[in-house]
Amino acid sequence: MSEFERQLVRALERREPPAGFTSRVLAAASQQPAPSRGQSWRWAFVLRAAPVMAALLVVAGGALYQNYERIERGEAAKQQLLLAVKIAGAKLYDAQQRVVSIGAIRGAGTEEEQ
Amino acid sequence: MKKLLIFGLAAAFVLPAWALDNNIKMPVNLDRLAARATESVDVTLDASMLELASKFLSQDDPDQAHVKKLVSKLKGVYVRSFEFDKEGQYSMSDVESLRRQLKAPEWSRIVGVRSLKGENSEVYLQKNGSKIGGLFVIAAEPKELTIVHIDGPIDPEELSQLGGHMGIPKIGVKHESAKSAGKDQE
Amino acid sequence: MAISATQKGIAEVRSDAAPPFADVVEIHKSMVFSIAWHFLRDRALSEELAQDVFLELHRHWAAMKSSEHIVFWLRKVTCNRCIDVVRRRKLRRETSLEESPEPAMLERVQDPLLSAYLQRMVASLPEKQRLLVVLRYQEGMEPEEIARMLNMNASTVKTQISRALELLRAKTAQRLKTQREAEA
Repeated sequence: MSEFERQLVRALERREPPAGFTSRVLAAASQQPAPSRGQSWRWAFVLRAAPVMAALLVVAGGALYQNYERIERGEAAKQQLLLAVKIAGAKLYDAQQRVVSIGAIRGAGTEEEQ
Repeated sequence: MKKLLIFGLAAAFVLPAWALDNNIKMPVNLDRLAARATESVDVTLDASMLELASKFLSQDDPDQAHVKKLVSKLKGVYVRSFEFDKEGQYSMSDVESLRRQLKAPEWSRIVGVRSLKGENSEVYLQKNGSKIGGLFVIAAEPKELTIVHIDGPIDPEELSQLGGHMGIPKIGVKHESAKSAGKDQE
Repeated sequence: MAISATQKGIAEVRSDAAPPFADVVEIHKSMVFSIAWHFLRDRALSEELAQDVFLELHRHWAAMKSSEHIVFWLRKVTCNRCIDVVRRRKLRRETSLEESPEPAMLERVQDPLLSAYLQRMVASLPEKQRLLVVLRYQEGMEPEEIARMLNMNASTVKTQISRALELLRAKTAQRLKTQREAEA
């Protein structure tokens, strides 16, 4: 990143919204219907629209499923990556720790000889 | 853990177990160790999977952002790790074929530590001109064997910067074990 | 042993269920507000927009899959709302940066902070370039991520960001030169 880009990063630092923002949002949200998977259904409308909706769902469902699958694969890959990095970091640490401890022993031995 | 194992095993079916990346061939006999292990980890992430995983790393999380930067140029990350309930479940000959592949001039061993307690650590770096082209770690303990291969330009220092985060101890912090390591020798 | 500790840590790493809505607002309010602020340069409007975004998130809460999904969703919806606001209310005549006049002499002398100047210059970029610059340099998103979120071509994103940077650099260089002359 160039120095100019770093200046841009500094200029575009995040800033806090006005005080009390969260409580205002929560207050407004409490006025909305509670988020839920179920809504009040208009059964008559649903019955009329069912064949069309079924056809649309078949088409859209395929695309949605592919996207869902991709998200699942991506999340799983991410977890694997994080695990691999943790293990690699831990093993490097162990190796370094052993080198350090050997150095400490040899250093102590040298001092005793002197 | 089961999901990870299933994912890892599925990945292993897709690719032959003996040719998981361009350079290093994992020994087929490592797969037998999984059957004897109480816990095993099998991570196989080639360049495309790394790219996909990276997209799901959060920029808001400093550790994940650091990992994202770390893996941005990698070609693959491979981990095999086995934990056993008793000693003697594997032998170093299981990894000997790996060691034979990690030879000069391409690879150089930068750490080789053996202890009387049977805890062995080896770290190899792959040279790519004047830069590092890969990292290989073999960590063998009486009841545990771990092999890590990171294919691509990796800075071990950057990896060690994760120390203190993600459950990885911070390198450089003194531990009591250093004092009691008097019986250890190379 | 470290690996056992690592494996125990799997539970932490994998435990990524969406946090409570109130926490999400608290965690991400500065992200949403700042995207709006750097785009609109109107504090009251930015707060209103940010609040609307979170209320919409509240309505779609059941569809959220993970923390990462929430961040993706918030950024995308905030960007869309920003564009909508500008187009609907026609806050400012859209001028290209080349056309935007130099700040007045007095302002230059009294405003030594390059950051404030850069913020104003970013806000005068064309809508799309403005969004891309904010997402790239405020949010630290990679061009490929931005492209995925805005359904754009990745190379187009990179080109647009490069062009915006060129314009900003040119204006900043001119501004610094003028300031030195004013101080001399």
